[in-house]
Amino acid sequence: MSISTETIILPSHAPPRATAARRSDFPLLPVIILGSIAFMAVFADFLAPHNPEVGALTARFHPPFWQDGGSTDHLLGTDQLGRDVLSRLIFGARVSMVVGFTAVIFAGVIGTVLGILAGYIGGWVDQVIMRITDAWLALPALTFALFLAAIVGPSMWNIVIILGLVYWTRYARVVRGEVLSLKEREFVRLAVVAGCSKLTIMRRHILPNVVNSAIVLATLMLGVVIVTEASLSFLGVGVPPPQPAWGLMLSDGKQGLMVGYWWLTVLPGCCIMLMVLSANLLGDWLRVKLDPQLRQL
Amino acid sequence: MARPGMFTTRRRDVLALAALGMAAGTVRPAKAVTPSGQLTVGVHITLAPTWLDPAETAGIITPFMVMYALHDAVAKPMPQGNPSPSLAESWSAGEDGLSYEFILRKGAVFHNGDPVTSEDVKFSFDRYRGAAHALIKERVESVETPDPQRVVFKLKNPWPDFITFYTVASGAGWVVPKKYVEKVGDDAFKKAPIGAGPYKFVSFTPGVELVLEAFEQYWRKTPSVKRIVLRVIPDESTRLAALKRGEIDIAYSVRAELAEELQRTPGLTLRPTVGSAPYYLYFPEQWDPKSPWYDRRVRLSTKYALDYNTINQALTLGHSHITGSIIPENFEFYEKLAPPVYDPDKAKQLLAEAGHEGGFDAGFYTCDVAYANLGEAALNNLAAVGIRAKLRPLERAAFFKGYGDKKFKNIIQGASGAFGNAATRLQEFVVKGGVYAYGSYPEIDELFPQQAVELDRTKRAAILTKMQKLLDEQTMYVSIWQLAFISGVGPRVDQSGFGLIKGFVYTAPYEDITLKSA
Amino acid sequence: MRQFIARRLGYSLLSLLLLSLTIFFFVRVTGDPATLLVEPGASEEDIAAIHQQFGLDRPLWVQYGLFMLNLVRGDFGQSFYYQTPVLELYMNRLPNSLLLASVAMAFSLLVGIPTGILAAVRVGRFWDSAGKLFALLGLSLPSFFVGLVMILLFSVYLGWLPSSGSGTPLHLIMPAFALGWYFAASHMRLTRSSMLEVLGSEYVKLARLKGLPQALVIGKHAFKNALIPVLTLAGINLVLMINVAVVVETVFAWPGIGRLLYEGISFRDFPVVQGIVIMGGTMIVAVNLLVDVVYAVIDPRIRLEK
Repeated sequence: MSISTETIILPSHAPPRATAARRSDFPLLPVIILGSIAFMAVFADFLAPHNPEVGALTARFHPPFWQDGGSTDHLLGTDQLGRDVLSRLIFGARVSMVVGFTAVIFAGVIGTVLGILAGYIGGWVDQVIMRITDAWLALPALTFALFLAAIVGPSMWNIVIILGLVYWTRYARVVRGEVLSLKEREFVRLAVVAGCSKLTIMRRHILPNVVNSAIVLATLMLGVVIVTEASLSFLGVGVPPPQPAWGLMLSDGKQGLMVGYWWLTVLPGCCIMLMVLSANLLGDWLRVKLDPQLRQL
Repeated sequence: MARPGMFTTRRRDVLALAALGMAAGTVRPAKAVTPSGQLTVGVHITLAPTWLDPAETAGIITPFMVMYALHDAVAKPMPQGNPSPSLAESWSAGEDGLSYEFILRKGAVFHNGDPVTSEDVKFSFDRYRGAAHALIKERVESVETPDPQRVVFKLKNPWPDFITFYTVASGAGWVVPKKYVEKVGDDAFKKAPIGAGPYKFVSFTPGVELVLEAFEQYWRKTPSVKRIVLRVIPDESTRLAALKRGEIDIAYSVRAELAEELQRTPGLTLRPTVGSAPYYLYFPEQWDPKSPWYDRRVRLSTKYALDYNTINQALTLGHSHITGSIIPENFEFYEKLAPPVYDPDKAKQLLAEAGHEGGFDAGFYTCDVAYANLGEAALNNLAAVGIRAKLRPLERAAFFKGYGDKKFKNIIQGASGAFGNAATRLQEFVVKGGVYAYGSYPEIDELFPQQAVELDRTKRAAILTKMQKLLDEQTMYVSIWQLAFISGVGPRVDQSGFGLIKGFVYTAPYEDITLKSA
Repeated sequence: MRQFIARRLGYSLLSLLLLSLTIFFFVRVTGDPATLLVEPGASEEDIAAIHQQFGLDRPLWVQYGLFMLNLVRGDFGQSFYYQTPVLELYMNRLPNSLLLASVAMAFSLLVGIPTGILAAVRVGRFWDSAGKLFALLGLSLPSFFVGLVMILLFSVYLGWLPSSGSGTPLHLIMPAFALGWYFAASHMRLTRSSMLEVLGSEYVKLARLKGLPQALVIGKHAFKNALIPVLTLAGINLVLMINVAVVVETVFAWPGIGRLLYEGISFRDFPVVQGIVIMGGTMIVAVNLLVDVVYAVIDPRIRLEK
């Protein structure tokens, strides 16, 4: 959200971040966290101690092992159906990772392509694409996502498509801005003079140079996308149960909150938070590292 | 035409009804009670404006939550009987079974002071367009009003279930004032309804609350609580929190871990009421030879796969009644069948015998979203024996529409809380042509028309019993339980109204509700 | 100036048009929109009636015309569940969302602005790092998680606040905090960078050279100028808050627009969902226009751009 508001609303002379340039030490912890989550997602079948989708009702609401009533059999406790929370968290990483990355890439591809087209070709193509971008940016992301989900119904791939449709506009704007300044550069002008076709120029000269911005934006968007996916799951229109998803676990666990079953909400919430935090830190670092001019992102 | 024994049965019925009617009529105490205080009920679902008008009664139990307060009927389920005379003192059937005469009670009035007359009863019947209206109107030849206290229904053919349908299984017997409705029209009526019930309408904010005030001239008795507020609080935790803080006096539908919390809280009482809605698993593909569900052993395996007692304990604290039948226990012609047993090994064995060693992918498990918790628990058990399905909860109206349109596959978890008797249930769910019957078995089908015309009650019961047993043998359905609807009652309430009317899960009769004196 | 306003107004109208087209398009993209526009559980006759009413058999541009005509008249359709016009429902619930958003906004400004100023003034040192941490947490923690943790702490363990619902000021505290937390971080960041820019400006340097006391420089001049972008952002965020409060309102059962959207989704009440999306988009286009005009009034350079 901060990305969209800061890029539209602020006047173009964005304030410099004086201290940012100094902090270019490699964000080890975020990368480790993201890496671990990715690892969990890929190797979930081996890592999870129990089946995440099946539980014994007789073992429901066991607290984590360090509390009274908990056991090492279920390290992080069980939920309302007796399913192991740790296993569900591990498998839930899969949904977050897959949906998060795929959606971000999907949005990125659409947004980058359209951004390049708009920026380079200009004219009415630019106008059309930018007008649509502006209009879509006016729709709050979650509301728009819910609207689309109400139409097509929830499933993992529908969610990815929906998130892609909602977030491509963020990329288009930034990429177009980049392309506009790239267009005036020497090497592009030379290519034009040399008679290269527009398509070739866009592919060979423009694209590689906007990829950096796209990647930075992608890492920053990852956090946002994951929170949106978790929100959708929380509201019941995310990935359908019994497949575990962190947002869904939060929703399921909400009732138990009143009775003190804290681990059903706090643990998945922490996972979401860690993933988003790491993505944001990584994105911040990348932003500074890859191109200081991207500070206004 | 007339069969031996039939006449005397009728006469006896009439006398009994007349006695009941007069007894009900003299309940009114000599000293008038002045209503006082307010009772706030936290309702778990949104109150639909259509519930304020009996003409639109859907085939579910929820509209009656409002109807029992605002309106009254010729006869309706009451603590004394099901049905029990209300606006009518008594009724009798003609010897040939082709006519029914209702004698209306004198002194019953609507909220605007107009007396309840036969014209109003006829008018209400004619305008009825809710559940079963086509069925009833098809069989009724005419409705006559020889004088203001008498209504005569003439049927085309003898129909032993007429009374059940008119007074219990539909809203056709609920009476609205003809003059008022004709004057203001249907839409305005819904905005300011007038009825003959114990409470009159004060205000309705859709999605927020319905406010009612005691109607002191109610024929049965003057209500003791002056104001009743039905407040919509869809979120379960919020509802319980409101009950704990004293913001509401009654909270409907508190389940599972929240019900346990309610039980532990001093000052609050847990009131479970078993409703007339058996929950079951249905297999729409069982007539398709290509489907795994075609094999009876596969269907039977699900019956052994569910851990009924633990689910009962977890979701409803053990108060639900595990049942082996899709017919509610309190229905006429109910035949008790052996309740299902949990035996996961046997389930696996059956699956192996049917050629599905290790289980199979069972597609979708479709259910009403309000009961997704049962669905989840059931799916859990099914997965444990290898039957892997995906939960597909649908909003209630969409669920019943898709169900009736025969759109669902694999497994359906359903339940029906509609009033009626065993025959009405079988008709909708089992027999060929039933709205929710995706297929049928000829040996069951051929019995149905036989019982429909059988006027001898014992013989009819025998046929219906046979049908239910055949149903069980075929494992067309796997019954789970009759759900205990759990509500919480706060410390201010004396008589909450729970459990007074058998099979009805909400508080009623409203005029019997009392608060503890301060 | 007038030219600028006219141009911006034109753009806004175009955006609104495109928005309506987008919504129109998506509703029809999956095939028969009747399944969405009609009540779940409706009969064949009802579906035929809907076809009639929305002209679903007529050419697309006619349908769009009807759609726009209705929108302009304020007819967003009728909610299946509540049997009331969507706009009426929306207006009924809007004050609740406005109340929640206002309190959340107040909180976010009360926390965000001072911390931002502090971070800017003490740039590079402890308070700046602390502020950055706060901002990071705020932008990374999903609002509903914050809400749930707060319920756990303040309702379940401490018993100080009611866990959900509405009616008393006590009910307002937690949802407002959960909603405002993210924006507090956002406002802090903007205040900080805006403040830094102003502190580095010529005017301030001159004031310092003149020997004016630090507090005066910061308090009088820097503060006011730094605030302008923050307050404009706040204005937009207020509108944004109303629209993104879906999850917070659901967690706390707060009866606002967000909760209405959730109900619309749960009950498959499509007119409600569509109506809220349209109103949300319209509100944001409107507030963007307002902000741009206000900015143009304040800073003439803007008028000359693009």
